[in-house]
Amino acid sequence: MKTIDKTHQGASGRAHGVTRRHVLAGAAALGASAVAAPFIRPARAAEPLKVGTYGGYFEESFVKHVYPEFTKATGIEVQSIAEPTGSTWLVQLENAARAGIAPADVSMMAGVPRLRGASAKLWAPLDTAKIPNLANVSSGFIEKYDDGSTYGVGAVSWYITLCSNTKTFPDAPASWADMWAADKKDTLGLLALPQNSFLLEITATTYFGGPDILKTQEGIEKVLAKLAEVKPNVRLWYKDEGTFQQALQDGEIPMGQYYHDVTGLAAADGFPVRSTFPKEGGVVDSGFWVVSKASKMLDQAQTFIDYTSSPAVQATLARKVGTAPVVARKHLDLSDDEFAAVASDIPPIVPQYDIYLKWGDWISEKWTAMITAG
Amino acid sequence: MHELALEGVTKRFGTVTAVADVSLAIPGGSFVCFLGPSGCGKTTLLRLIAGLETPSRGRVRLDGQDLTGLPPHRRNIGMVFQSLALFPHLAVGDNVGYGLRIRNVGKAERARRVEELLALVQLDGYGDRAISQLSGGQRQRVAIARALAMEPSLFLLDEPLSALDAKLREAMQVELRQLQQRLGITTIVVTHDQREAMTMSDLIVVMSEARVQQIGPPLEIYRNPANRFVADFIGASNLLTAERAGPGAARIGDLRLAVSGGTETSNEGAVTLLIRPEEVQILGAGAAGPNRIDGTVRFLRDVGASVEIHLDSAAGPLIAVAAPKDCPPLAVGTTTALELPAAALVALDR
Amino acid sequence: MRPAGDTAGTRAGHLAGIYPALMIGIFFLIPFALMLAVSVAHRVPDGFYEFAFEADNYRRIFEPVYLRTTLFSVGIAALVAAICIAIGFPFTYHLTRLPRRAQVLWLIFILAVLSLSEVLIAFCWQVLLSRTAGIGNVAVWLGLVERASSFYPSFGAVVLALVYLVLPYSVLVLYPPLSRLEPEIPEAARMLGASPLRTFFGTVVPVMRPAITAAAIMIFVFTIGAYLIPQVLGKPEHWTLSVLITDQAVFNANMPFAAALASFLMAITVVLVMAVLWLERRQEAA
Repeated sequence: MKTIDKTHQGASGRAHGVTRRHVLAGAAALGASAVAAPFIRPARAAEPLKVGTYGGYFEESFVKHVYPEFTKATGIEVQSIAEPTGSTWLVQLENAARAGIAPADVSMMAGVPRLRGASAKLWAPLDTAKIPNLANVSSGFIEKYDDGSTYGVGAVSWYITLCSNTKTFPDAPASWADMWAADKKDTLGLLALPQNSFLLEITATTYFGGPDILKTQEGIEKVLAKLAEVKPNVRLWYKDEGTFQQALQDGEIPMGQYYHDVTGLAAADGFPVRSTFPKEGGVVDSGFWVVSKASKMLDQAQTFIDYTSSPAVQATLARKVGTAPVVARKHLDLSDDEFAAVASDIPPIVPQYDIYLKWGDWISEKWTAMITAG
Repeated sequence: MHELALEGVTKRFGTVTAVADVSLAIPGGSFVCFLGPSGCGKTTLLRLIAGLETPSRGRVRLDGQDLTGLPPHRRNIGMVFQSLALFPHLAVGDNVGYGLRIRNVGKAERARRVEELLALVQLDGYGDRAISQLSGGQRQRVAIARALAMEPSLFLLDEPLSALDAKLREAMQVELRQLQQRLGITTIVVTHDQREAMTMSDLIVVMSEARVQQIGPPLEIYRNPANRFVADFIGASNLLTAERAGPGAARIGDLRLAVSGGTETSNEGAVTLLIRPEEVQILGAGAAGPNRIDGTVRFLRDVGASVEIHLDSAAGPLIAVAAPKDCPPLAVGTTTALELPAAALVALDR
Repeated sequence: MRPAGDTAGTRAGHLAGIYPALMIGIFFLIPFALMLAVSVAHRVPDGFYEFAFEADNYRRIFEPVYLRTTLFSVGIAALVAAICIAIGFPFTYHLTRLPRRAQVLWLIFILAVLSLSEVLIAFCWQVLLSRTAGIGNVAVWLGLVERASSFYPSFGAVVLALVYLVLPYSVLVLYPPLSRLEPEIPEAARMLGASPLRTFFGTVVPVMRPAITAAAIMIFVFTIGAYLIPQVLGKPEHWTLSVLITDQAVFNANMPFAAALASFLMAITVVLVMAVLWLERRQEAA
């Protein structure tokens, strides 16, 4: 069962650093919290603030490292919600909002579902005056409606990089173009879905001078044609992260795109793997805090967002969860090593979420045709 | 005309011995019945001859040639199974021609032979019928024709008529016997029906408890059974428990009887005396003499062609069968004189 | 002369007829009707769907990628069915000729294998076929090859795992008709001069043809719905239509198209099964 969960988590945002180990720990934590929930609910306080994060390792980390400190600092109790990734949670929030219910007050949302929620005006506009720490947050991590009101604030971000087995490849690869090299035949593991692999963006940046070519369908077809050339080198198109991580560590599939943070953790555990930011940049993807418009705890939600946007909490997240901060580095007390462990100074490849919004079904079909062609 | 010989054939299934040390010789062209109650080993013995079972010990010879190690498909033995085992997916003609096709007989020749065989079993023109369209008797004939198709050296039938009703069975017995005589093929039929065995065979092999009890022509077996089992199994019998009383004599209580049938093996000890019901002579009242006793009528059954009389006598309960014209008028409760002729009294060791 | 309980008996008969109808309705017809309804619904991106009557989803099926995948799904299901029959039929035939006790032990073993889920089987084979932990190492240890290699993802791995998954079903489906096969039928063929091999292929197989067809159809239908094994052990070109249906339903939240694909797959399956049954009946009549 856990494997299926992982597969689903890969849907849209990402399954954050889910390894077998993490999922097990996460599942245990989830089980424990589910059982304990009715007893934890404080009798003294009013309703707790319900915060949704991706179930598994992420949710576990937040329960352990963030919520207790937040309650201590503000007196606001938190009820942790394990949310599914992809569109599922968006649909649930949307349907609940129609009935005036908020399954979670604050949710972490990424990628296309976040944008869809915004276009449906599902996210409550935030009062920036109540979030002083917003000043620290880099501008790319503040999402606004057309009328200028803010609805989303970056929580964490993570990178997809070119990861390799150090035994099989003593020298680190330098460029995403290495994936196309003739000597890499049958050695790569790549994510199997367009909207979570961002291989269109990677290919466009590596071979077409940047993501602009993806602005037209003709351009996307050209990029897909270039991407098709990498197929002979691909051993595994994975939807299940655990599978690839295992294969990467064993050297069975010695190279591929993978999450920078998890690879770092695996390397720290002594596995012969490394994560490399190619010269074209790693792919950055981020989770944003958004508040359901049905929430009756907007104030507490804003307090929570303000809390997690503080440099101190961002640094904690970088150290404990392995995610990249959304606050500029100058505000943080991270050492060079600590920073390198979660991010890079090379400008990242940014996902073109809007193309999946506009042409999602079309891209999915072209993509499927491309990878399933014999 | 092929002769079959079994030499000390034994078959064990695990700890159970199905056939124990059977030796017999079957002359070429004869019609033989393996007769015995169910579980006596007769079917296993037939399957050993067919090659469907391998003997644990002993040999099977056909015309002196050792068949023991030969698989069934190389023995050229025709067999009709109890279930008939017709191939349901094939038409009548294809069933009959199956063996010919295996032997790569050409199509035209095959068709000719199949017609011939169907004519032999009086099924002319049935070649295209499906098996499911046939009656029980017709299926029987198809199975026979199929087994005879490649002119086997031996023809084996395992309870071939058991599925037919009584009337059809008798007709088929006659027909099978006639067919065998016409073809002159050495034939073995397994049956538990002693009437069937008596009707058809040249030779009966009576079996019980894995062993052969007696081998012989039907009448000899009827008249001179080798032991109590054979006497009891074949035909109706009066079996009297007696003591030997010197050569040619036996005693039941005070009653002394002269005995001249059977083979004397001993002069002393317990003995069973057999007398067939039709040998018991009803003499009417009076007249005393050797081997004569009185009997009281307990029960009468007159079926027209014969009268069956149940009596109590000094020798024990007796059944007599007589033609109505030979029988004096009797009623239940009357006493009549009986004679047990010495020549009809058979002493049995066991 | 019918007994007086006539009317009561008929009523009980009606009730007995209602129960299966009710169950089929609840567990098959209603879900199926819902699926059909969804398949013509209008897709709302990331909002599931609104009920409508649109043929768009069905039109989309005729894109080459879906047709090719359908063809592949049918092909691999047919191949797996053929392999399962080729292995399962002789196996079951010999099984029914074993002593009763041995048969029961074998059947228990097969039922145990049957209790393994597709998930477990897929991942076990993944490990078995991997380079690091797999059977390749046994070959190295035996000195057959110099270096272990991985046998997945590959077409062979998909077929192997699928056969492993459905073989027990084929044995269980073939077991009843084969144990009812009169043992004297093959013996009759032997007596007529057929070697054991010829007896098996020339008599046992033809006599059992209806049972074989039924088993093959069942395996085919079972395999064509397989999702996890092609996904885990195959390259994308070995993905079945079920994988694409899952992608649509789970990853693209496109329920209407997923439902249309599923209905299409079901229609194809029903048509193929009918065709096979029709051929079978025609041959029987001939």
